[in-house]
Amino acid sequence: MTVWLHLVALVLLGSLGGALWRVWRGPSQADRMMAAQLTGTGGVAVLIVLAALQDWSLLIVAVALALLAAVAAVGFAKSQSPDGAGDPEEIKPAGDWSDLNASEAGDG
Amino acid sequence: MSAALDIALCALILGVGLATVVGRGVFRAVIFFITYGLLLAIGWARLGAIDVALAEAAISAGLTGALLLAAQGRLRTMKTEAEPPARARLPAALAGLSVACVLGWAWFALPVDQAPDLSQVLPESGVGNPVTAVLLNFRAWDTLLESVVLLTALVGVWMLAQDADWDAALGPRFHARPNGVLANFGRILPPIGLIFGVYLVWAGADDTGGAFQGGTVLAAVILLAMMAGALQPPSVAHPVWRVGLVLGPLVFVLAGIAGALLSDGFLTLPLTIAKPAILTIEAALSLSIAATLALLVIGPPDDQGQDA
Repeated sequence: MTVWLHLVALVLLGSLGGALWRVWRGPSQADRMMAAQLTGTGGVAVLIVLAALQDWSLLIVAVALALLAAVAAVGFAKSQSPDGAGDPEEIKPAGDWSDLNASEAGDG
Repeated sequence: MSAALDIALCALILGVGLATVVGRGVFRAVIFFITYGLLLAIGWARLGAIDVALAEAAISAGLTGALLLAAQGRLRTMKTEAEPPARARLPAALAGLSVACVLGWAWFALPVDQAPDLSQVLPESGVGNPVTAVLLNFRAWDTLLESVVLLTALVGVWMLAQDADWDAALGPRFHARPNGVLANFGRILPPIGLIFGVYLVWAGADDTGGAFQGGTVLAAVILLAMMAGALQPPSVAHPVWRVGLVLGPLVFVLAGIAGALLSDGFLTLPLTIAKPAILTIEAALSLSIAATLALLVIGPPDDQGQDA
């Protein structure tokens, strides 16, 4: 059982690596942010497996991560709105999505 | 098998750290830094340091990410997001490398086992969680100063405000589409976070958790409610928020003075009342930490939205 759990944790870490590759490659900011959210989800999964391996009280870290990983996504949504304090949904969808995908230009 | 897991985790942490530093583009670095904190939290969890993992997860995944993304968005709207000049990179790299070398040297140079065995004295602290026992009883002086440092940092951020903006509400004017995804998210998540944060503070006395971790979760809750437009950021002079900001350090200092008058000295807690005293201090501290951290991320008073 322990070997099995180690294997699961390794595979999950590998999937984190895949998400990290997407963070590196992009190309749009939304791609990078969604990949970061994916690493958040994968991180929760790794922590649950580690909890089964080591100590069940690790689950509390997984809960904290699951709850708070979304805050960065809210911060991203805010930073994508024109005044930095709004909501991308307030803009017309056409302008919205092209803006999201094109905004990488000034980022290098 | 266990070694393979550790090696994979270390490789990911080092790789993400490297990618944060060497990659081009501010946004990419910010995103990598967020994932770096997440992997560090897993690393601490792997080492069995659950309280550290909890703090790392709450701070890096929750607050630092939102803070850095807001800063990046602001740089973008101010059109100042240019890459730093190439000549600035070598000194920065050298400075970073020398800090790493000094830390590495300290790791080998410092004596290994100097800390007293905590399990002997833990019953004298009144609580069951050794981290809480150290933070709020044996080394309470450090924690008191740290809570004051947080408050000082907030005052420092407020000092960045322009005179004309001083009476305005803190931070930009957040708004969201009514009944949109963001507005609903800001109503659904905060109640769950509130329960979790209060649980962390309460459980911190005898189990994993504590004032700082709970306060950070509560700060994220406040921040989320503010960013979704459900809660308006206060102005600097708002009385309730001011009380919230100083409550923790105030209760802490009062408890310390009470210890000096009634017990063995400043900040000493007699065993009979240690647990209720620690819980009271922790409750007040976590309120103050939550308010301080949230307002730190929100930023100084700003009348014109992002154009300060």
